[in-house]
Amino acid sequence: MNSFPWLSMIVFAPLVAAVVLLAIPTKSRTTTRIVAITSTLVSLVGSLRVAIGYLPGGGYQFREHYPIIESIGINLDLGVDGWGISLLLLTSIIIFAGAFASWTLTQRDKEFYVLLLALVCGVFGVFVSLDLFVFFLFYEIAVLPMYLLIGVWGSTKKVAEAGPFRFLFRLLDIGGKEYAAIKLTLMLLTGSAFILVGILAMYDSAGAHSFSIETLGRATYPRSLQMWVFPALWLGFGTLAGVFPFHTWSPDGHASAPTAVSMLHAGVLMKLGAFGVMRIGMVMLPQGAASWAWVVGCVAVVNIVYGALAAMRQTDLKYIVAYSSVSHMGVVMLGAATMTVEGWNGAIYQMVAHGLMTGLFFALVGLIYGQTHDREVGNMGGFAKSMPAVAVFFTIASLSSLGMPGLAGFVAEFQVFLGAWNGPMPWWALAGVLGAWLTAVYVLRAARRIFWGAGPPARFTNLSDPVGTEWVALVVLTACLILFGVAPRLILDDIDTTTVGYLDTISQTAPPQASAGVRP
Amino acid sequence: MTSTTSSADASPPPIFPLHADHLVLNLALIALLLPLACFVLLALVWPLRRAGRLAGWLSATVAVISFGASARLLMLVVGGEAPLTETVGWLVRDGKVIASMGVHIDGISASMLAVVTLVAACVQVYSLGYMAEDSLPAQGRYFTYHSLFITAMGGLVLAPNLLQLFAGWELVGLCSYLLIGFYWAKPSAGQAAVKAFWVTKFADMGLIVGLLALYGATGTFAWDAHLVGIWATAVPALLFMGVMGKSAQVPLHIWLPDAMEGPTPVSALLHAATMVAAGVYLIVRAYPLFELAPSLLLAMTWIGASTALIAAATAIVQDDIKKVLAYSTCSQLGYMIAALGSGQIMGGYFHLTTHAFFKSLLFLGAGAAIHAVHSNDIHDMGGLWKTTRISALLFITGSLALVGVPIFAGFFSKDLILEEMLEAGQYVPVAMLVLGAGLTAFYMTRVIVIAYFGDAAEGAEHAHEAPWTMLLPMGALGLLAVGAGFGGDLLATLWGQQYHFGMTPIGITTSVIGLGGIALGIMRYGTSTWTADLLGGLRGFILSGPVDRFWDSAWRQGLLPFAQVVGWFDRYIVDGLINMVAWLFIFLADRIKRFQTGRAQDYVFAVVLGVVAFIAYGMVGA
Repeated sequence: MNSFPWLSMIVFAPLVAAVVLLAIPTKSRTTTRIVAITSTLVSLVGSLRVAIGYLPGGGYQFREHYPIIESIGINLDLGVDGWGISLLLLTSIIIFAGAFASWTLTQRDKEFYVLLLALVCGVFGVFVSLDLFVFFLFYEIAVLPMYLLIGVWGSTKKVAEAGPFRFLFRLLDIGGKEYAAIKLTLMLLTGSAFILVGILAMYDSAGAHSFSIETLGRATYPRSLQMWVFPALWLGFGTLAGVFPFHTWSPDGHASAPTAVSMLHAGVLMKLGAFGVMRIGMVMLPQGAASWAWVVGCVAVVNIVYGALAAMRQTDLKYIVAYSSVSHMGVVMLGAATMTVEGWNGAIYQMVAHGLMTGLFFALVGLIYGQTHDREVGNMGGFAKSMPAVAVFFTIASLSSLGMPGLAGFVAEFQVFLGAWNGPMPWWALAGVLGAWLTAVYVLRAARRIFWGAGPPARFTNLSDPVGTEWVALVVLTACLILFGVAPRLILDDIDTTTVGYLDTISQTAPPQASAGVRP
Repeated sequence: MTSTTSSADASPPPIFPLHADHLVLNLALIALLLPLACFVLLALVWPLRRAGRLAGWLSATVAVISFGASARLLMLVVGGEAPLTETVGWLVRDGKVIASMGVHIDGISASMLAVVTLVAACVQVYSLGYMAEDSLPAQGRYFTYHSLFITAMGGLVLAPNLLQLFAGWELVGLCSYLLIGFYWAKPSAGQAAVKAFWVTKFADMGLIVGLLALYGATGTFAWDAHLVGIWATAVPALLFMGVMGKSAQVPLHIWLPDAMEGPTPVSALLHAATMVAAGVYLIVRAYPLFELAPSLLLAMTWIGASTALIAAATAIVQDDIKKVLAYSTCSQLGYMIAALGSGQIMGGYFHLTTHAFFKSLLFLGAGAAIHAVHSNDIHDMGGLWKTTRISALLFITGSLALVGVPIFAGFFSKDLILEEMLEAGQYVPVAMLVLGAGLTAFYMTRVIVIAYFGDAAEGAEHAHEAPWTMLLPMGALGLLAVGAGFGGDLLATLWGQQYHFGMTPIGITTSVIGLGGIALGIMRYGTSTWTADLLGGLRGFILSGPVDRFWDSAWRQGLLPFAQVVGWFDRYIVDGLINMVAWLFIFLADRIKRFQTGRAQDYVFAVVLGVVAFIAYGMVGA
């Protein structure tokens, strides 16, 4: 249909740039940035092109096919549907903003950009792969660079020693950046093991000697297999999506990571997990999903409320934002668990909305931390006087996270709640609504403590608004939050078509209650 | 990001329909979108915003034009223009639109829009004078918020369905948050802003769930959907929870007195005339839903009447002139809710409009007094009648309208409420409301006697009259505070109802009680020898803020410690267990590594052991 390989361009532009960067002398700092940003711009333009060119009919479009190991059915098979284009757009916006947000980095900046670009290549790859093996490969590419990015460029923060496991704090150096890096990597790789087992089980059971997602999707798996493979995939992907109780890598990881890494990780990487649960777990194993949906939903509800309460208790700015991610990813998983059109539309929309919002949050936190070198909210106050623009952007991000109409977060959350109300357990919606209120409590409290009041304290004298390139991330992300909040149908129509397509397929194989829609 | 149409529909994307030949729609869009354009302009073009004065004049001009459009629109609707709805799809499900955005113009929305834009225009012009002493960037920020407010409130009023009404509802809440916290450097302002947001958002949880339940039962967000079974009561009850927050009904009224931290014109516009009345407007709009829940209506009557009485009693002991007016607003909103609960939508809505005029006038008058003496405390005023004669006269006019002295606006609307409720047989609530009317007269008299006729406090002798930008809008509202009561016929026409005024026993009783309250107030506060305390021991109890203390302890002793426990649990138990797994591996590795001693003898020994084991296995297996 399209002769130009747009998807390959989107996926591999960052990788090419990463290779080019390796050949550039470390000292040419501006060149490094220009190369990196150009490649993210190429991906962004490509994503926009794909989004605009996507025809309303649904299904996979912009197909590309390159054989890799034909004997066992592994191909580089690319294509996007409505879900894919939404997440491609999100990823390219976040990485574009993130490349600008890292502009002022000085320590080993070339290596930083190389790893960042390699990582984002993996993320793009996951969203467009139609081959399960390549999907998994890209998934690992996306996860692994994080270890170095946090371990080398991260920051350390002491955690008070307490509780029954007090003796572990010294031993494991809890709170250190190396601790955060290895914890994140180990937990996510443990999840990957579950995913790999699940994928191989499906490959084996389908017996088609193909890893093609479409071929595997057409196969019917015995109920007994679905009953154990779905939870394996849910746990595996769910770890990356921050599913309780395997979310604890997230606060430490996001708090330790440098700005752009937090933006990318909370903004996009966690979505890989949720996307995996929905696209691989639920769509391909509908019977297993329908049987386990109540567990997925109940755990998601725990995520929402528990994450919000935990965020309320934090005094470290990065931990507040990190726990808010745990809470908001719960909204995504809740939407997924409802297995309704509204719920799934909302879940995908929430991935986009939360990605933009949390990307903006971390960019702002980076700006604040870069000047204060202090993340303790209690030490701040009155910052609106010296950084008024940061205060405005922070308020907008806060409002999106608490579900203010006119911003993307509301569109997403409201659809998820609609889905939950019409789903298998209507009370999930109540918990979701409560979570939104708790978000208003902690996020506005933080905003008041940081920006409002007399001040700023004497020790923070030279605070200022962003300068030069630092504006780009803030303006781009805020504009998108407003755009997707006011005009949801820019992407919602395509998401909806895709969702309906998947749910129709499911309803042919799964029990009828799994695709319950609006009650007449 | 393909096209804004659904997949089934290949027609070009609908752009908001600006029909050249449709005057009604165009007027509504001007009233709605011109302030939005002004907001966007001021928000994005920072040199213009930071210029302050220019931003203010621009915003005020837009507000006046917006009112002009709304007034013309109202005239057309009164002239018999048919109701009109224009929408564009906003949310889709399975290719079909489930929620749309747009405008719905009928008698109710057109009249409410006119009231909102009129008060907004008056308040913005007034603010040009009142805010003149603030820094220029602060003034720019102030008017930016005000422009957003008109759009948000207009969107709420003209909403074609409850979802858009909710969107406007949240956005006016945002404006309220921003404007209460306008003096953000002041800690009390920050706390008040956040408190207002939290409390109203808490109540809005009911509203959201109500919308979900409405959608679950009917698949739409229409306010005239036909509900059956438990949903017929549950949906309006959930919506009413939101109303209680926004319209400050006991026990969710606690944010409104604190909201007085905002600049006084803000209190006039948002926290007296329009935004807090949104809850009443919601009930009026969605009355087809409320109608089906008689038990809820009864509860509304009692909640409204209790709020009217409790808030009026609380107003008596306040020394801050704005707090008196804030509690008075709670109290008057209670009258409206009680009226709606008794099925008297016309009466409740009539009172909403008259109240919007006289209460905003009172706030603007209070603002003029505060502007003159630079204090909110009525004891710091005194003698203002001599120094600021015009604004004093206007304040007294507003008070007479609030008290419900015959001829003034409040008399007609309050009389209508009481008369109709009496006909409906609500004897006890009516008695509460009549008593509340007496208290209203008493607290307003107290304010007037102390602030305007008392001995001038230090600094108050040299009070100066407000500038014309402040007096002009006050004068306009003053005329309405006197004359709006005669608009009952007009309103009845819009509603297609009969309305004719007659002096009934209840009207006479209320008037007498009101005049009695005035007399009592003059006796109590006019002379220092008369020392009886009307409320006696209750005074201390009221001042201690029992409802506030309840919520405060729920926050301090309930939610916060619970969050502490959850956070601790996550850090030290959940994460601790995961660290424990890590430790387990370290521990096992530590044990296993002892087998790797590094000595050749040990390895040879292991090889021999292995060979022996193999041979043994082979022999046994064979």
